[in-house]
Amino acid sequence: MKERNKPILEVKGLKTHFTTKRGVSKAVDGIDFTLHKGETLGIVGESGCGKSMTSLSILRLIPSPPGKIAGGSVLFKGRDLVTMPEDEMRKIRGNEISMIFQEPMTSLNPVIPVGEQIAEALRLHQKMGKKAAWDKSVEMLKMVGIPSPEKRAKQEPFQLSGGMRQRVMIAMALACTPEVLIADEPTTALDVTIQAQILELIKELQTKIGMGVIMITHDLGVVAETCDKVAVMYAGNIVEHASTEQIFADPKHPYTQGLLNSLPKIHEDQEELITIDGSVPSPYNMPAGCRFASRCPYAEDICAAHQPDLVSYSEDIKVRCWKYTDKWTGKRDKEGVV
Amino acid sequence: MNTTAEKNIILQVDRLKQYFPVKKDSIFKPKAYVKAVDDISFELFEGETLSIVGESGCGKSTTGRAILRLDEPTDGKVLYMGKNILTLNKKDMRKLRGDLQVIFQDPFASLNPRQMVKQILNEAMAIQNVVEKSKRKERMLELLGYVGLPPESLDRYPHEFSGGQRQRIGIARALAVNPKLIICDEAVSALDVSIQAQILNLLKKLQKQFKLTFLFISHDLSVVRHISDRVMVMYLGKVVEIAEKKEMFDSPLHPYTKALLSSIPVPDPTLKRDRVILKGDVPSPIDPPGGCRFHTRCPFAIEKCKQEEPPLRELVNNHFVSCHIAETLPV
Amino acid sequence: MLMFILRRILQTIPVIIGVTFVVFFIMQLVPGDPAVLLAGEGASKETIEAIREQLGLNQPLYIQYFEYLTNVFKGDLGVSLKNSQPVLDEILVRLPITIELAFFSIIITIVLGMAAGIISAVKPYSLTDVSVMLVALLGISLPSFWFGLMLMYFFSVKLQILPVAGWDSLLHVILPAITLGAGGAAIVARMTRSSMLEVIRQDYIRTARAKGLRERIIIYKHALRNALIPVITVVGLQFGALLGGTVLVESIFAINGLGRMIVDAIRMRDLPMVQGGVLFASLIFVVVNLFVDVFYRFFNKRIELN
Repeated sequence: MKERNKPILEVKGLKTHFTTKRGVSKAVDGIDFTLHKGETLGIVGESGCGKSMTSLSILRLIPSPPGKIAGGSVLFKGRDLVTMPEDEMRKIRGNEISMIFQEPMTSLNPVIPVGEQIAEALRLHQKMGKKAAWDKSVEMLKMVGIPSPEKRAKQEPFQLSGGMRQRVMIAMALACTPEVLIADEPTTALDVTIQAQILELIKELQTKIGMGVIMITHDLGVVAETCDKVAVMYAGNIVEHASTEQIFADPKHPYTQGLLNSLPKIHEDQEELITIDGSVPSPYNMPAGCRFASRCPYAEDICAAHQPDLVSYSEDIKVRCWKYTDKWTGKRDKEGVV
Repeated sequence: MNTTAEKNIILQVDRLKQYFPVKKDSIFKPKAYVKAVDDISFELFEGETLSIVGESGCGKSTTGRAILRLDEPTDGKVLYMGKNILTLNKKDMRKLRGDLQVIFQDPFASLNPRQMVKQILNEAMAIQNVVEKSKRKERMLELLGYVGLPPESLDRYPHEFSGGQRQRIGIARALAVNPKLIICDEAVSALDVSIQAQILNLLKKLQKQFKLTFLFISHDLSVVRHISDRVMVMYLGKVVEIAEKKEMFDSPLHPYTKALLSSIPVPDPTLKRDRVILKGDVPSPIDPPGGCRFHTRCPFAIEKCKQEEPPLRELVNNHFVSCHIAETLPV
Repeated sequence: MLMFILRRILQTIPVIIGVTFVVFFIMQLVPGDPAVLLAGEGASKETIEAIREQLGLNQPLYIQYFEYLTNVFKGDLGVSLKNSQPVLDEILVRLPITIELAFFSIIITIVLGMAAGIISAVKPYSLTDVSVMLVALLGISLPSFWFGLMLMYFFSVKLQILPVAGWDSLLHVILPAITLGAGGAAIVARMTRSSMLEVIRQDYIRTARAKGLRERIIIYKHALRNALIPVITVVGLQFGALLGGTVLVESIFAINGLGRMIVDAIRMRDLPMVQGGVLFASLIFVVVNLFVDVFYRFFNKRIELN
């Protein structure tokens, strides 16, 4: 697999809190992960788990106020993005770390030709001239598979289909050959046949450019097909972190297990789906103990009382669950099935 | 699932067309239409779940809306228990709406934010006058029980509920009038997987309990696989394939269905598939390609596909496909 | 686009006919008999009857209306009951003055309003924002006759740097134009601010930030163009209010424009004059709206598709 050299991105104890009238919402509450060159990390979880806020926090794009990075660090090639001055940060955004968003319909400026939207980043970061930047943006459109790119570059987003707009977003994000690409639900708004095209494109370009990719998604299918390793998020925490094969073959955390079980299977028949009862705790009022305890079929007293840490289960697996610690009183077995 | 032949037809859609006029940009051009649904026929058997799948713009939601006459169809017949719905007058149609209910994708948008749950349910019952006034409260509690909401929900407003719970309210409202057929228009698409699973289970349970028939409109093929008895695939306003679920997923005949099925990302990293990735986008429904509408993206298209529109034909028992060359395609 | 303009122009025809209809019949509802007024105090019944006959006032209403309508299209708006001069001549003298006043006022509305709105939106809830919006609120609430008089008092009477009234030089335009444009500027400022704040929340602004663009470029290049789209509509509507305002402002500053002419005519029960004046004011409004629509469409090409 990927070489275990120094990571290009290292997130340590990242916390993003939102202060509103209702109190403090701990949207991201202590996140750790690393990303290496050429690697794809999936961050997966349901709405409100904090996965999108994590990605926005890396580039310091959270709306502030009310949002604020309350702690932790994001080391990019050894420099901490959290404490970096704003003008330094701007040189990294769109240049060394790029981002694509979920809604290609709304993520492009409706009144500016798409070619210009790509070219402006090139002029800014690569100090290209007007003509050179324009030519490069046409070239980028061609690279992401947009037919007649010269013509399309002059068009405004409303003249393009959803799939094409997402291609433009990718062209824009990759124009400056970034080292890290953060893709926040890049295919959620697209039809499946278009989704397949876009995922294929991202993979292809990743190999070409050699960038690290963070794939934020709620779709476990997308994770299985694109990611090397996965971080499963629940209520602002990472609850499990392992290689993709590992997560799907043998999920450790009860939430990961529940999530996989509740998926309708495309290749087999089931009479009834296995569900996770209850609902996610309010981000304004997180329980003191394990955040999944109230929905967990295995929960014991300790789960409600104390929050478990994300600990190594094996070399490649980290899990945030009391079941895998020696504090656990119940029956325990190596496979995690009790 | 028994073979379809022994079952009663509850709804028959016959050559349904739904055209929407497009604003002209010149008086010299002929009037243009979006042919959202263009001459489709199918039937729905009592107690089954038929799913309509397809990508945005294929006409699946329009079909549902046309059946309910939320938009007046351009042409065709919709026979409900043998009676053509499209020719009913307002009064008869209103009566019939008790039998035909709908659950929408966005439960928040389809529930009046200023009404408490009891008002929402009461209104549904009052319109159809299905339950005597004195017994309505009792009936409401019963409905909440069916959909798994606590009794105190009656005095709450929609915004006080989570997405999944709101969808439960939507389902309770649909059930309030004792419907026979429920059209679920992307009913679980906006929900997280764990909540989606709860709602799917609920729908299945209620179907058994009340012998409901579902027309299930969805773009999510794994959901469709789970809930359906039969599946119908649409592309650009046309039906391309209808078959029993297992048959459809195990041996799809139409090249579009094949591509669609192979496009779904499967949550199993060990599964390496030969994926058919379609080139290009879906053409505009204003000016759809002639002949077979899929020929512009079909990797197997021959000359005939460009010229002649393929009819929907029964290739295997109860498996209909509209493709000239379905027999000759690689499996 | 051309097609759209053409269709839009054709659409104004029924509007104009509608306007003549309303103008004509509303004037019929106004109490007071013009024939009596014209004949003067103590005139005999016969004299009044004769005047009525002469003016066609004894005919059925619908005939009067159709006669009026055909005359309007021939360019004949009748003669003033006061001085027997053709109404159209009088209007053509007054109209340029009112148009000039309206032009400068709308410039003030646009420039002042948008600038204030942008300044506010860049730092929402800051001291600057709060002060600008407070002034804007005052601008909306102050009655223009009082505001005009105050301006006159300070700049003409106290400081004596601007003329009190009349319409001779560009200096004369300043105070009435400010009086007339201030209310609109306040409304445009508030609209620009809220529209900017709305746009700044959009996904594409986040995209622009993710690109590493400077805040200044984000505001002026990415946000402003989108934010101005709804503002254009408001400016168009403000123009209507502004035309109404000319009636007051022209009276305060003793300007012989269309507005004042209408007021005088109403006082004199000079029916043809009122009709002509209102008709022209409506025409200006219709034409301006036409421009706003075309402009809006040019700015926002997306509506062509929907």
